[in-house]
Amino acid sequence: MIPGKYRSVSGRAANNVEFKLNKETPSFSGRLLQHDLERNYSSRQGDHITLASSSMPSFPILQRSSEEKILYSDRLTLERQKLTVCPIIDGEEHLRLLNFQHNFITRIQNISNLQRLIFLDLYDNQIEEISGLSTLRSLRVLLLGKNRIKKISNLENLKSLDVLDLHGNQITKIENVGHLCDLRVLNLARNLLSHVDNLSGLDSLTELNLRHNQITFVRDVDNLPCLQRLFLSFNNISTFESVCCLADSSSLSDITFDGNPIAQESWYKHTILQNMTQLRQLDMKRVTEEERRMASVAAKKEEEKKRESHKQSLLKEKKRLTINNVARKWDLQQHRISSIAPNQDRKVSDCPQDPSQLRGSTVSAFPEETGSLDSGLTSALQGLSVTDTHLVEVDGDTLSLYGSGALESLDRNWSVQTAGMVTTVSFTFIEFDEIVQVLPKLKIKFPNSLHLKFKETNLVMLQQFNALAQLRRVDQLTVDPQGNPVVNFTLWKYYVLFRLSHFSMQKINGTEVTQNDMIMAERLFGILAHVASSELPQYRLISILGDARKKQFRYLLETKGKKPGLVNEENSDSKRLVGENTNRATLNYTTRDFYNERLEEIKEKKKFCKMYMEDLVKEATEINMKNEALQKLWPQMFIELVRDAVIEIRNKNSYMKLCLQQITDQK
Amino acid sequence: MLSPERLALPDYEYLAQRHVLTYMEDAVCQLLENKEDISQYGVARFFTEYFNSVCQGTHILFREFSFIQATPHNRASFLRAFWKCFRTVGKNGDLLTMREYHCLLQLLCPDFPLELTQKAARIVLMDDAMDCLMSFSDFLFAFQIQFYYSEFLESVAAIYQDLLAGKNPNTVIVPTSSSGQHRQRPPLGEASMLEGVEASQFSQCLENLCDRHKYSCPPPALVKEVLSNVQRLTFYGFLVALSKHHGINQALGALPDKGDLMHDPAMDEELERLVVRSRLHRTSRQHRAEEPGAFGFQRRDKLEAPESMPSASASSPYPYRWEPRE
Repeated sequence: MIPGKYRSVSGRAANNVEFKLNKETPSFSGRLLQHDLERNYSSRQGDHITLASSSMPSFPILQRSSEEKILYSDRLTLERQKLTVCPIIDGEEHLRLLNFQHNFITRIQNISNLQRLIFLDLYDNQIEEISGLSTLRSLRVLLLGKNRIKKISNLENLKSLDVLDLHGNQITKIENVGHLCDLRVLNLARNLLSHVDNLSGLDSLTELNLRHNQITFVRDVDNLPCLQRLFLSFNNISTFESVCCLADSSSLSDITFDGNPIAQESWYKHTILQNMTQLRQLDMKRVTEEERRMASVAAKKEEEKKRESHKQSLLKEKKRLTINNVARKWDLQQHRISSIAPNQDRKVSDCPQDPSQLRGSTVSAFPEETGSLDSGLTSALQGLSVTDTHLVEVDGDTLSLYGSGALESLDRNWSVQTAGMVTTVSFTFIEFDEIVQVLPKLKIKFPNSLHLKFKETNLVMLQQFNALAQLRRVDQLTVDPQGNPVVNFTLWKYYVLFRLSHFSMQKINGTEVTQNDMIMAERLFGILAHVASSELPQYRLISILGDARKKQFRYLLETKGKKPGLVNEENSDSKRLVGENTNRATLNYTTRDFYNERLEEIKEKKKFCKMYMEDLVKEATEINMKNEALQKLWPQMFIELVRDAVIEIRNKNSYMKLCLQQITDQK
Repeated sequence: MLSPERLALPDYEYLAQRHVLTYMEDAVCQLLENKEDISQYGVARFFTEYFNSVCQGTHILFREFSFIQATPHNRASFLRAFWKCFRTVGKNGDLLTMREYHCLLQLLCPDFPLELTQKAARIVLMDDAMDCLMSFSDFLFAFQIQFYYSEFLESVAAIYQDLLAGKNPNTVIVPTSSSGQHRQRPPLGEASMLEGVEASQFSQCLENLCDRHKYSCPPPALVKEVLSNVQRLTFYGFLVALSKHHGINQALGALPDKGDLMHDPAMDEELERLVVRSRLHRTSRQHRAEEPGAFGFQRRDKLEAPESMPSASASSPYPYRWEPRE
């Protein structure tokens, strides 16, 4: 509403009322050089304006005194006049500067006649739509900040526009500005922009203010050949990729990103500096040479790290695939064993779901691809040998072996440091019988291994634990129920404690071993030990213990490089073998293959023995027969002998003669 | 010794009946295998030890299955050894599965076949739910029957199948009163009432079997006794009856009576000594654990003196003596 004192008598033409115009309107050229156009306008009131109502019912008509008109012919200030509409401005066709700041104007109207207008200020009004400007072809500065504009439109004819200020509105999209080829400053701060594009055509744009929006990505900036300053503070930019076009803008020298998520990143500064080498100021601070240098160094490091982690993840993936492969082969192998030899005791309890899969081909050749050792990796977490059929991994203090091919890796030359650090050895997807054969090697190469873990290793018999007795020492034992049926037995832990009592184990499968456990183990199996030692005949004892020692020798001889040191090792070990609880030393485990081998070897001997015994028996029976025959015939023979003798001696004289004759005959 | 029957048999038969050759062959074989070790202390001593161990029943420890199975004496010795070693497991009250018992058997004989254990388990479990838990005494007695008389049982099974199949046309399947059956054995269930064969017929066939075959079979009189108490019976019912029959157990001579199964004072004494020693051992080891050796390990204890060998003529103080079977 028009304030009372200025209201004229309704309906009549304006009368002349003196009024003064604001003398302190700052020159608009100076204003333009400042950063934030919002703060430029001093709040002033224009005094003494006459706003008479016109013939049209809603629009007041504005008139000035002729003095004023002459004094300030090109400028008119109507700040804080509580205007709700643009008044009709009569007779001011030379007006070049029009100021409507701080009013309540909702539509731009009634200024089409001011065709010389260069500067139009509608800051802080209630304008909802840009309109009514199509005749203002000379307009160079258009200030529409702090309104309610939702869309940039109807600027087609303002080809001379130099400054366009649309801050503080509700604009969601940059559009319809492509023809403003003289525009140097565009202020779209505090709007609702979510992205930046459609900037082509703004060939003179030097400064673009996009602060306080919701921008997530920026495009088209490289199409602005003159853009020097770009303000993106307080938006929603989080990656450099979303503003990557900035790198291609060679004119850009000043940029701000503060208040964006990207500014919180550790790589922010050097990424920006690295990618935008033309930059002179970042976030209102000069970019020094030092910073640039550090940025490039940091960027290189970042690159390196990325490559490294990429390599790591590739390696991890490969490892995972290998383990899957090994697992699959293991399953096949298990089914194969159970389908081909069903009368073997060593069956996996989770038995064949699909034995028909395998057509009984006994050839076991799983193609062994020799993996290439990736020697470029250092010794912290890595796979040292990754092939398709097995996997060996040293991870600080754990040596993990997957697949039976991995056992060969124990032959490798391990550095003393690596080997010394290993305290846990984990076996997965390997037959326990195969593991048994490499235990001596394990003892030598990894002397500090205290914790053994078995998973999917086909532990089916208590007896198999006997094999672990040959190790130097085991503190902890973990037998995963998966793939190890032996864990289903109620007594397995006690048996382990009993047989390996000389190790004084601390934990089995994660649970502490108590004194009671040890005593229970001793109670359950103590007699077995007693029987195994004291009730065995001496020669059996020696032969069993001797066997064990012989076996160890054999395993050791198979390793590469028979150093003399090894032999000494063996002697002390053999002493230790006796040093453990002797009464259970005879409880050994021979892998099935070796056992059968030995039985085969004995067959020859058995055959020989049988033959030998048969010969003896034949001899004995012959003698016996002869003896029996003699027994039968003897009475008769005896009688005949006696009878012959008696007959001979019947006639004494003739007998004497016979005897003498016999004697002479002999001579 | 010089009994007339002995002389009545021809040579080979006599030797075979006493399995003399088996032992001699085995002795010579053992000698060959351990030539170097045995030559140290003399062949004569070896033979002495060998045959002493045969008498004592310790010769079958950790031997291969073919040897253990070879003679009845071996089988009986094996049963006794199993009882001796694992009586403590039974005493502890643990119920184990068939596989676990098999494991224990394998501790004494590495290549013991699974089928035998399975068959023994079937006797206990009446061919039902083979993964059930069994008590030590049940399993042991059933195993005894199965192992000692394995060949006999196979023939019996064949006979039973024949009878079931109606080879004898006189077989009439009539449900009879259950009281007789249940007195001897655990309840068999509805279906088995119709199954099974007539006891008298069965008994007849078994008598013929025992006469015909030379290998060991239970004393015919006792078998008859088992069969005379019932009208009908199934195969497993018969086996269970056999396994629980005290007379047969005693005739076999390997295991003590069921009531005495857990008693073995001599071994218990020994066990106590072992437990005490292990306790001392452990505490002393813990004391010594303060000083780590190379690689951070505890120092090894000194060599323990091996257990002293019992003299050849040591006899068990336990009243139930182990006597070789006639």
